[in-house]
Amino acid sequence: MSTNNDQSQVPGEPTQTTTSLLQTVTSTIQGFGPINKIHQHLCAFHFYSHDMTRQVEAHHYCGHQNEEMRQCLIYDSPDKNARLIGLEYVISENLFLTLPDEEKPLWHSHLFEVKSGFFFMPNVPSPIEHKDMEKICKTYGKVYHFWQVDRGDALPLGIPQLMMALTRDGQLYDHLVQSCAERMGIDFEKERKNREYMTGPAHGIHPLANGGGKGLETRLREVELNHDEPLPSATRVFV
Amino acid sequence: MASTDKSPHPTPAKHSDPNPTPTPGEPMKMEQHVVDKSAMMVQCFKPINQMSQHVCTFAIYSHDMSRQIETHHYCSRLNNQFLQCAVYDSDDSNKGRLIGIEYIISDDIFETLPPEEQKLWHSHAYEIKSGLWVNPRVPEMVGMPELEKLAKTYGKFWCTWQVDRGDKLPLGAPALMMSPQAVSPGLVRPELLHERDSKYNISSESLKSSRIEIPEPEMISPMADYWKQHDKGFVIDFEETEMKKRAPFP
Repeated sequence: MSTNNDQSQVPGEPTQTTTSLLQTVTSTIQGFGPINKIHQHLCAFHFYSHDMTRQVEAHHYCGHQNEEMRQCLIYDSPDKNARLIGLEYVISENLFLTLPDEEKPLWHSHLFEVKSGFFFMPNVPSPIEHKDMEKICKTYGKVYHFWQVDRGDALPLGIPQLMMALTRDGQLYDHLVQSCAERMGIDFEKERKNREYMTGPAHGIHPLANGGGKGLETRLREVELNHDEPLPSATRVFV
Repeated sequence: MASTDKSPHPTPAKHSDPNPTPTPGEPMKMEQHVVDKSAMMVQCFKPINQMSQHVCTFAIYSHDMSRQIETHHYCSRLNNQFLQCAVYDSDDSNKGRLIGIEYIISDDIFETLPPEEQKLWHSHAYEIKSGLWVNPRVPEMVGMPELEKLAKTYGKFWCTWQVDRGDKLPLGAPALMMSPQAVSPGLVRPELLHERDSKYNISSESLKSSRIEIPEPEMISPMADYWKQHDKGFVIDFEETEMKKRAPFP
């Protein structure tokens, strides 16, 4: 079971008025370069690459690096107090094929989630949304989550989690589907029918994508640091 | 799968590339621009609109502290003790690459974390007081109250795109980053600092003077900035495992 609708309070007091005022000032003065390029809100579902039973509704805010590459910030909701839980990179099939074989398993295909309707652009009229969905159908994504909100973490604890995307019916929990449909005002069944015509990557879904079909889990390892010179230690001074 | 410290293709480490290779891929087509414009007109971007500050500072790879990068954080505050930041390699709206995420918490929240978790966090006092951490275009006096608060915070920064080693796309596992500190190997290379200062027409040295009054934390937690006491860094590996499933995959 998974849900990220439980908006457990992030520990901490409400922002002080003086801080809020200051924030308004700074945000007016400063430029927000790459953030200004974020032009799309996309909604999808991810699950942990070692555990399909833990699933998260993921709100993507994406900007294009170019026609073939997007970079997205992932939040657990579309609300103003949403938690920044991860990020996703989306690349075309052409770019995916340039990746080393060792890298490909970390990326997932988008074909099923787009055609099933579970990957969508809230509020955008269908004809326009479909233009983008037709493209996304053929792309691959790489997602890391850093905040395991589905297990109730009030803070971003632990190490990055590689996430995977839906690849067939039966994977996604019904209660997540219903909850999302109600809040986001989407009819997934209708979307699925409307997207039947869409096609996936020209070369088919690469066999190494989606973990190569295997589960993957991240692990933390401590490593000795190499030094050119030794770390400063207490030195004895002889006077 | 490439661990943090292994590149799938061996690429030479670059300290700072003034002309980074653009991300591969064709330029955006008109059709995509139309989609984007339409989306912008009808969609809400509430979480993004919460971003209230741009910070330019430096970070160091925890597993290889000879690699230092200039970073651009775009932060939103969730409450008085917590900020979340999207981190880019530049403030250029066209070229800026999303290289990771940093979370910032107050010292009292940090104290509640178990030691195993604290190891992954770094302190901010030094980088703020030394003038490395700047809010471009914000007059120093205007930004001072916020700097005083942030000087007592801890950060956790995962880097997912190792642009400094020449990766044209985000490859491998995330890297845990550390913050600049007053001792080697935590000292930022002068040429890196100079390049940043010239770009914004600022002087970290004079910022350091104006920040002398910022109170130092009474104590920096011994588990933070882990390398200082333990001479070790961190790497993420991937392990193949039996996926727990509720339906066939893939």
